[in-house]
Amino acid sequence: MEVIRALATLAEPPHPAHAPIACALDLPELPRPADHTELFLFQLYPFASFHVGADGMLGGEAADRVAGFWRALGSEVPGEPDHLSALLGLYAGLADAEARESAGAGRILRRESRKALLWEHLLSWLPPYLHAVGEIAHPFYRQWAELLGAALLSEAAELGAPDRLPLHLREAPPLEDPRVTGGEAFLSQLTTPVRTGMLLTRADLARCAGDVGLGRRAGERRFVLKALLSSSPEDTLDWLGREAARWRGVHEGYRAEAEAVSRFWTSRADAAHRLLVELSREARKGGGPASAPATLRAR
Amino acid sequence: MKNRDRVNLKRLNERVSAARREAEERGESFYPGPSRVHLASFPPKERWDDWVELDSRAWPRRVEKRYMLVPTTCFNCESACGLLAYVDRDTLEVRKFEGNPEHPGSRGRNCAKGPATANQVTDPDRILYPLKRAGERGSGQWTRVSWDEALDDIAGRIRRALEEGRQKEIMYHVGRPGEDGFTERMLAAWGVDGHNSHTNICSSGARAGYHLWMGMDRPSPDHAHARVILLVSSHLETGHYFNPHAQRIIDAKAGGAKLVVLDTRLSNTATHADHWLSPYPGSEAAIFLSIARWLVANRLHNRDFVRRWWNWREFMAEAHPDLPPDFERFEETLEEMYAEYTFEYAARESGVEADTIEAVARLVAGAGTRLSTHNWRSAAAGNLGGWQVARTLFLLNALMGAVATEGGTHPNSWNKFVPRPIHLPRHPEHWNDLTWPAEYPLALMEMSFLLPHLLKRSGDFLDVYFTRVYNPVWTNPDGFSWIEMLTDPERVGLHVALTPTWNETAHFADYVLPMGLGSERHDVHSYEQYAGQWVGFRQPVLRAARERLGESVSDTREANPGEVWEENEFWIDLTWRIDPDGDLGIRSFFESRARPGTKLGVDEYYGWMFENSVPGLPAAAAREGVTPLEYMRRYGAFEVASRTGALHDEPVPDGELEDVRVDADGRAFTRAPKPDSPNVVPLPVVDGDADGRRRAGVEVDGRIVRGFPTPSGRLEFWSGTLAEWGWPELAIPGYTRSHIHRENLEEGQMVLISTFRVPIQIHTRSANAKWLDEIAHTNPLWIHPRDARGMGVRTGDLVRVETEIGHFVVRAWVTEGIRPGVVACSHHMGRWKVADHGQNQAMATVDLERGEEGWSLRRRKGGGPYESADADTSRIWWTDVGVHQNLTFPVHPDPISGSHCWHQAVRVSAARPGDAYGDISVHAGRSGQVFRKWLEQTRPAGRVSPDGTRRPYWLLRPVRPTREAYQLPADDPAGG
Repeated sequence: MEVIRALATLAEPPHPAHAPIACALDLPELPRPADHTELFLFQLYPFASFHVGADGMLGGEAADRVAGFWRALGSEVPGEPDHLSALLGLYAGLADAEARESAGAGRILRRESRKALLWEHLLSWLPPYLHAVGEIAHPFYRQWAELLGAALLSEAAELGAPDRLPLHLREAPPLEDPRVTGGEAFLSQLTTPVRTGMLLTRADLARCAGDVGLGRRAGERRFVLKALLSSSPEDTLDWLGREAARWRGVHEGYRAEAEAVSRFWTSRADAAHRLLVELSREARKGGGPASAPATLRAR
Repeated sequence: MKNRDRVNLKRLNERVSAARREAEERGESFYPGPSRVHLASFPPKERWDDWVELDSRAWPRRVEKRYMLVPTTCFNCESACGLLAYVDRDTLEVRKFEGNPEHPGSRGRNCAKGPATANQVTDPDRILYPLKRAGERGSGQWTRVSWDEALDDIAGRIRRALEEGRQKEIMYHVGRPGEDGFTERMLAAWGVDGHNSHTNICSSGARAGYHLWMGMDRPSPDHAHARVILLVSSHLETGHYFNPHAQRIIDAKAGGAKLVVLDTRLSNTATHADHWLSPYPGSEAAIFLSIARWLVANRLHNRDFVRRWWNWREFMAEAHPDLPPDFERFEETLEEMYAEYTFEYAARESGVEADTIEAVARLVAGAGTRLSTHNWRSAAAGNLGGWQVARTLFLLNALMGAVATEGGTHPNSWNKFVPRPIHLPRHPEHWNDLTWPAEYPLALMEMSFLLPHLLKRSGDFLDVYFTRVYNPVWTNPDGFSWIEMLTDPERVGLHVALTPTWNETAHFADYVLPMGLGSERHDVHSYEQYAGQWVGFRQPVLRAARERLGESVSDTREANPGEVWEENEFWIDLTWRIDPDGDLGIRSFFESRARPGTKLGVDEYYGWMFENSVPGLPAAAAREGVTPLEYMRRYGAFEVASRTGALHDEPVPDGELEDVRVDADGRAFTRAPKPDSPNVVPLPVVDGDADGRRRAGVEVDGRIVRGFPTPSGRLEFWSGTLAEWGWPELAIPGYTRSHIHRENLEEGQMVLISTFRVPIQIHTRSANAKWLDEIAHTNPLWIHPRDARGMGVRTGDLVRVETEIGHFVVRAWVTEGIRPGVVACSHHMGRWKVADHGQNQAMATVDLERGEEGWSLRRRKGGGPYESADADTSRIWWTDVGVHQNLTFPVHPDPISGSHCWHQAVRVSAARPGDAYGDISVHAGRSGQVFRKWLEQTRPAGRVSPDGTRRPYWLLRPVRPTREAYQLPADDPAGG
């Protein structure tokens, strides 16, 4: 369990005291603080609420659920209860507490708590998250993500799968059709992982702009996406459709280890793919920006 | 996700566990703990040069603003929390202030006062140019003058005074301190013992208590790691080092620490306490002594610590020479001496139930060495003998061994780093008895609030008197005496007010010179806010921003608003005008080293300091490829050391031990010279031995260790200084009954607590901080419902509060948040002006009159909306700006610490016909009578000095004259 505690620590901003921890894990030289910032502050936010929340934002109901879990354990709720480091630290602490219990009800209770934490608040979002880290991060964090993924799947194998899909995912609303709900809502939902099955980082949007040959506006993701859709809705929708399909494949890749979670995320990516393809076709039929669905046009 | 089969997790687990075990066996932490910056809070520092945010004023349009983020430190209280100025890259204006996450003390967090710096910067009524009085003093007529004219005039007068040996006629009086030691060194360079501070109306009572114990005068509690936190303050809202301490107290509470708060008033802090004790004012020391007695009686104290570190042998030798000098006998004596301080006795004195006090005592006992305690102003500043509150509070730390431990209370000097400057001046050869009168040989700081009385008594004259970010007319007790002094040309020749904002005192000045706010001035400072040392850098942010853009700025006025100046440049320029040729021997302390004979610039001054005097900073800067000065301009702070600890127990290195002699009291002396330290934090100067050796430390259990900078080298439970200087009955921590003790009150009198603050005001500099004023702008009188019923008063009714010298009229607030028999009225409020100039948002316009009967102040107009360059000023909805109660308080100087004892014995009644809100009336001559009455309690140096000096040499003093100047004058051996 020390591995998980050590990996939790390494998700904090690099500190000279991290060097022996990284060394013990066979990880490469520590990255610069700027690499940490780039990954965790600008690309892939290490908060459960961002990934499984209905709005793709920090806090809200998803964070409340996580805080409730801390409370149910009788623990002080930290300032950021759904931060990856906090959750992994909690997991390691529960494992230690379990090991200290002699066999019996207390031990079973600890084990069930640990299992609930693993499936409800970690594996509900980490497989796609760690995959994305592996794609865009500094080599240190790529290896960190691989190791964390392996450790968590090993835990999953040991504890067994739960009977039900995690509550976050059961409660997650789907991606809605912009022809019904309007373009602004659609833009927000496209940047909400749990609705689309995709993690669209700033780096992904830069890639999108490059792939479709558009200039990238500076700004937050929703703003960038809106600019791309306004400039070339059909190409952007095409690209997003392909991205959803790519993510569908990513989610299928961990089917054996986390079947229910994999099926959920696959179905979300698949639904997003189908909707985006349909919207793209419609946009193309209309003949370019001027005839793009009104809801997707820039003001 | 990587296939788990390809990773040998078991092996990795074992390796990490082994590495952790090894680290912990070495006494190190393997996991450094969370250090993440909250995602929503701070822009990452690598993007501070070009940070993009949406412009809030453009909402709902999405307009991007590009900022340069420049650090500085807040100037609005002493905490000096880190700020980040958001400088608009297009207009080079500061748009807002947020926290600086790189600041080790405040860790990115601020109270409301920090961001409100923006209000001060854009204050439509602020002083932007030097002003010279055009009519009579106090007439409110001003002419704009050039800096050259003002500087030449002031410098000319100072030079003449120096040439004519009238050093005593130059005085600098400071409110909010700026750079650690800068002006003290400047005055010393001038050869002037003219430093005057506000400290004796503030913290000197508590500081005297700490100083007598450990030689250092401020507590530095490690709240974050404490098991029990015991406060005589309201730290979670306003206490000293409020923001840095409050966040650490909350950290400790989150970890299970217990919080005990002593405060007569239900403060916000008290609402967070596990135990809130509301003692009768002035009885706090009785409570602490009862806890101490119980700890000793039950042998729950840290006996080994007491044996090793208290000067108990000295006590036994001096106080009980007939008894065997062994530790067990000392403990028995200790128990006997404090036997009367039972919980029941403390309960009778304080009104707090004995069971509650006992519960707190049990908490203290359980804290072990993780007991953090703190007293700064509060009870220590309220009562005759208030210094005993801090002294008896620290007694608990000393009993538990919770001194400089993790979670304990440290001496400030070990958690503070004052970098050695480029020049260190000589000691002045003169003693100023206007600030250090002979009646108060043990006063911790200058007897500043007595100045009008001392000038009147002696007939002395101040040729040049600077008030510097200080407002004694409003802040000090007895403000009318200050007005009399400032308007009397026989007492004050030239009054120069250095201030960023209008205040009541500046109104009576000859020059008003605009000084910079927190984002417009340079200062280096360090405060003891946790168990570590840091250096913070305040800087003019627009100057720094321009320099980042490649411009060269050599005079901060080029970057500041109007002609607002930064202070170090001002003083250097003034000094050069005082001594243009260097013939007075002053100029050399303000010359460039790189270019001898030229004026020292701030870049060289700070560049030298950061390069040579801050360990670790040059290396940290080199890692980023910048100079140390550039590093500080970029990040604003640097942590020199963390996890400082028990320096007293550190062995003195062999290299410092040469021809060592250890005397009978265990003090070790050496002939080895004292090594130069880059840290010039003020410390007492303890004498060496008769053979010329200097003090190296003390011998404890056969080891020579650093010890404490006290005469004994140990913690002084028994103060030889007090015993030798006329107060043998107070040589051990004790309980002095306050001037407002029940037995000192007349029938019908109550106690008024007047010193408490609100978290969102800045002494007297926030009358135009609109964000703060909107939240808090008035100060009703807290009255318990039982008392209110007796007076027939309800909330909102006018009441008259009569003090020894006059009365004020205020509105009542009936609340159970105060003890029966006690009333309370907050600091800050009741600001006023007599003319149109001044601040309009929370300053009333008043009529000020002096007649045969005395002084009166009557409100003409309260606050209200007005047109200005700031559209918000037309939206001011409040008119009530409070009542200036301090005008009706006489001076109450404690005969030992010198602190003003703020609590007042008052009579409170429903207002009389003709009374109007805000009325102030003070009888002529009464304040002088009260001054003389308190003076009678003193024991002047001429009567009690054991060695013919004015003051014990070892005691701290902001500016320390030559040793010769300490001698009492031969022509006045009584010393006044």
